[in-house]
Amino acid sequence: MRGITLLLLLLVVVACGAPAAPLRQRMTLAWVSKSLGNPVFDHGRNGALARARELSAAGPYTVEVIATGSASADAVEQTRVLDDLIARRVDGIAVSCNDPIACTEPINRAVAAGIPVMTWDSDAPESQRFTFLSIDNYAAGRVAGELLARAIDGSGKVAVLTGVPGALNLEQRVRGFRDTLAAYPDITIVAEVTSNEDISRGVQGVEDVMQAHRDLRGWFFAGMWPLFADRGAMPLWEQAARTGRVKTVSFDTLPFQLELLRDGYLTALIGQHYWGWGYDSVQTLYDRVAHRTVFPPFIDTGMDIVTINNVEAMIRAWETNDFTAPLPPP
Amino acid sequence: MDKRATRIGLGQRQARSVARLSRQSWRALASRQEIIILACLVVAALVIGLWNPNFYQATNLLNLARGVSWFAVAALGVSMVILVGGIDLSVGAVMALAGVLCASALHAGLPVPLAILAGVAGGLGVGFLNGVLVARLGLPPFIVTLGTMGLVRGVTVGITNGAPLRDLPPHFRALGQHDLYLGPLSVPLSLVIMALLAVLVSLLLDRTILGRYIYTVGRDEQALRLVGVPAASVKITVYVLSGALAACSGVLMTAWLGVAAPTAAEGYELEIIAAAVIGGASLFGGEGGVLGVVLGTTLMLVVRNGFVFLGLPTYLQSGAIGAMILTVVLMDHLWRRRLARG
Repeated sequence: MRGITLLLLLLVVVACGAPAAPLRQRMTLAWVSKSLGNPVFDHGRNGALARARELSAAGPYTVEVIATGSASADAVEQTRVLDDLIARRVDGIAVSCNDPIACTEPINRAVAAGIPVMTWDSDAPESQRFTFLSIDNYAAGRVAGELLARAIDGSGKVAVLTGVPGALNLEQRVRGFRDTLAAYPDITIVAEVTSNEDISRGVQGVEDVMQAHRDLRGWFFAGMWPLFADRGAMPLWEQAARTGRVKTVSFDTLPFQLELLRDGYLTALIGQHYWGWGYDSVQTLYDRVAHRTVFPPFIDTGMDIVTINNVEAMIRAWETNDFTAPLPPP
Repeated sequence: MDKRATRIGLGQRQARSVARLSRQSWRALASRQEIIILACLVVAALVIGLWNPNFYQATNLLNLARGVSWFAVAALGVSMVILVGGIDLSVGAVMALAGVLCASALHAGLPVPLAILAGVAGGLGVGFLNGVLVARLGLPPFIVTLGTMGLVRGVTVGITNGAPLRDLPPHFRALGQHDLYLGPLSVPLSLVIMALLAVLVSLLLDRTILGRYIYTVGRDEQALRLVGVPAASVKITVYVLSGALAACSGVLMTAWLGVAAPTAAEGYELEIIAAAVIGGASLFGGEGGVLGVVLGTTLMLVVRNGFVFLGLPTYLQSGAIGAMILTVVLMDHLWRRRLARG
């Protein structure tokens, strides 16, 4: 009898010590970008934090997102960042890899430590990541080819600007572009220049091609590099673009590119869902950790196609930071 | 006190004569290399122009001149460092730092000349750090400037949070974009600035005692020290000048592009060193001239430009430039062996 009283007393003490509110579990998810500070990645981080807030408000978990990355787009530094996250025992990692090979080992180490890992935007296909969330770069390249072919009425010389030779996503974009244009016998691709993901190299490449091929009709920029430069840096391209002699389709939909499109320099832009890189990644990780959901190896984020017909809507989306509403048709 | 003064006076006279002697044989060598580079340039221009006559159009020459201008400014500085037997790997990072400092100053509302000074000051600071670490502490220049390259790049990314700075005032951009009209000729303003700086560097090297010391440090530092010339100060000055010229180059590049990116000029240090080496600056020190550096830079840009005109894949460019460096170094080496044999 006395023993039971003692036990009851003990239970009461223990119960008083425990929090009165229903128990909330903490879920810590890491969102790792290629580098810190890139405006595009900042956008993704905001998406990740937004989804974390929404999930915390709705669900049983307090979802905390650690948005981090290497200071510069460096594969070795990124490995260190990933190893730190494994040591911190986070609940899940979403990473955009600087190098598919260098990324594989740390991803596998995390998985071995029981941390599910997914990739976004830039994959490590050989690793044990459970899914890859990205735009379908090949399909986007095909769309770019179609848009450019239509803009130049299916004939003329065109050129391609790409980044670092060997970058998988850029190579897929260019391959899609080339495959589409192969169906147009009157279009020839006269030059493919590399920018090394460098603004000044991109500007010089574009101007060199404009000079070498005075009858050029179209450009495909697989990335936005030369467009970062202000007006006056590419006099030949600017003049040809403004007068409509040269049509340009470019990847990405940053505000300054939208401005160039509105002012008539660009024909079309193909946008990735930067916001979704964070927003959708956090949702995917959450489902994986909380519900053990099984995902296909590739999740297509879809793409934004921006032309003069819907550029205003895209500009508004940037101004209000709200990318949830679908764009009007291009 | 008196004795010391005489010793220095005597030493300087000796150093001067050493320098003069070495300069004569250098002249023979350098002029030879400059002529070779000039010949290469003429051949390259002929071949490219035959294949695609658009190469000779005024717009392309302007385009080339604009590209050469800021690139050569940085190469001038590096060639001086090579003259004293050193190397400066931090120039690319300094270019980005100078651009970002200058753009930040402009965003803060500073007038253009002050903003440019802010950028150049950054280069001076990094150059001084390099110089002190190399000359006073005797650390290997390759390691020192490799370290400052990373340090400066990190600081630059930190200042900007990684984002490029745009919306620079038009009268700043004019520095890199405008052309001057000299009669019927239109010349990019940046090329005129480069020419002015090249003349200044040339005067410094050819007409001042410091210039002679710079050549002598690279050839025989021990001799200079023995006769009482502060070789360390000479070296520090050279690293400071290299930093300042790299900063000028970065400011010009920023003005031309109208954007200062923290990632700008990444990897340019190797191309800048290559331009200086192709132009005749010997990595063994003590040799090189301003004209050679400008010609070397021009040759590199013409080759790159030529790839597009000839329709060759651009990813072969770095291979071609690498082959050019090896050829020049090999020629330099063979020529020295012949000289040594008499």
